[in-house]
Amino acid sequence: MKLAFYPGCSLEGMANDYAHSIIAVFRHLDIELVEIEDWSCCGATAAHSLSESMAVALPARNIAAAEKMGLDIISPCANCFNRLRYSQAMLQKKIYDVPWPVTGNIAIHDMTRFLAQPDMLAQIKARVRRSLKGLKIVSYYGCQMVRPPRITGYTDYENPMTIDDLAAAAGAEVLDWSYKTTCCGASIGIGRRDIQEYLTQRLVDRARQTGAEAVVVSCPLCQANLDMIQKKSSDAPLPVFYFTELLRLSFDEVKGTSRMFRMHITNPVPLLKSKDLLS
Amino acid sequence: MNKNQADKPDRGIAPRRRRLIGDRGSHFLNRVEGETAANISACYQCERCTNSCPVSAYMDIKPHQVIRYVQLGWREELLQSSTIWVCLSCEMCTTYCPNEVSVAETILHLRSMAARSIVPPKEKQLAVFHQTFLEELQRLGRVNEVWLMAALNRKPGILMEKLKSGELKKELELGFTLWRKGKLNLLPRRSKAIKEIREIYNKR
Repeated sequence: MKLAFYPGCSLEGMANDYAHSIIAVFRHLDIELVEIEDWSCCGATAAHSLSESMAVALPARNIAAAEKMGLDIISPCANCFNRLRYSQAMLQKKIYDVPWPVTGNIAIHDMTRFLAQPDMLAQIKARVRRSLKGLKIVSYYGCQMVRPPRITGYTDYENPMTIDDLAAAAGAEVLDWSYKTTCCGASIGIGRRDIQEYLTQRLVDRARQTGAEAVVVSCPLCQANLDMIQKKSSDAPLPVFYFTELLRLSFDEVKGTSRMFRMHITNPVPLLKSKDLLS
Repeated sequence: MNKNQADKPDRGIAPRRRRLIGDRGSHFLNRVEGETAANISACYQCERCTNSCPVSAYMDIKPHQVIRYVQLGWREELLQSSTIWVCLSCEMCTTYCPNEVSVAETILHLRSMAARSIVPPKEKQLAVFHQTFLEELQRLGRVNEVWLMAALNRKPGILMEKLKSGELKKELELGFTLWRKGKLNLLPRRSKAIKEIREIYNKR
């Protein structure tokens, strides 16, 4: 199987470790990820804040490039996925003009839902060699991946289960909590740090109260926000994993396992060592 | 600021004087409805948007009020509000609206209206941030966090404001932590499609 991979800007910068874990997981699953040639930024919040035509045209350029390759797009970043889907919906309705040929008739997958399909889940389960038994986690989806449902196509947008299923497949103990899709504040910290801290701290506190030892996310910005807020917190650190990192861990890669987590600000190595998951 | 105060709308923005209702006709409502395709007239003020909003306590005009203001044509209050900049576009309001009013899209549309108007934005840093993001985007085709923040700090007044509020020190500390962890990529990568992207940017 072949898919057009749209990494997004974060995966070249602060979430570079996410990119590495994705590539490792897909290599295990024998799915070929072909990076979209000269992909460009989806415009994120800024484009649809300031110009509607840019919010459609910027992702459309990448959709056009994938169409030329003849492959479906898979996006690991929640906001990129949302923007691509939005642009696709607008292209199909032919509301905006874009300067290149594009129909929008390809599938755009969000990575968690793609991997949580029943047949993919079975393949993942078959490849788990080291079960993450005893690791108590909560899953956190954030906003852009699930909302608004008419764009993202999630029917269980109040209680999404994709990351839960994937983490459970890797053997982790997934706890239920009420803050799966509560916003982490996104990039508001740039102008209003008070709001950012209030929103993110609340998530971290609630996760701890639920009894979780770690949070599992799929969005690079959520990971950064949840990871960075804990610098000065006096409580026990709560590591924030990408779901692909847990999968990679359960697939038992022998090489460089503790180096995998060197980009985390809240160091997860002591937790994993206490669970006997890292040597 | 105590908790009750934070929940109250800031009357400094929407002056508490007797105002005529309906004296502006429906021009603004029709315009916004036409441009956003949000059925704003369907709102019956159930306040579900405001109750689901994670940041409504920080807004001077609450989401349900934004919809009402649009109906009444109170454009200048909306463009001067902090609401349009504080909104996270987390889409809770749109998702839970029983009448399928696209509240978040309306707020974002007002934001782009404010960005094009002469009204000075209430949240200057956020407004400048969005603009800088697009400028960086059209320069490289992709956005690099380090260069984005550097470009933001070079904008007039931003650095001084951060220095005064002590924000700059925090930012530098955070930057150092990120750099030590190897999270910062100092060399941005260009997209080869830069010409097409500039075309989109110039036509916006």
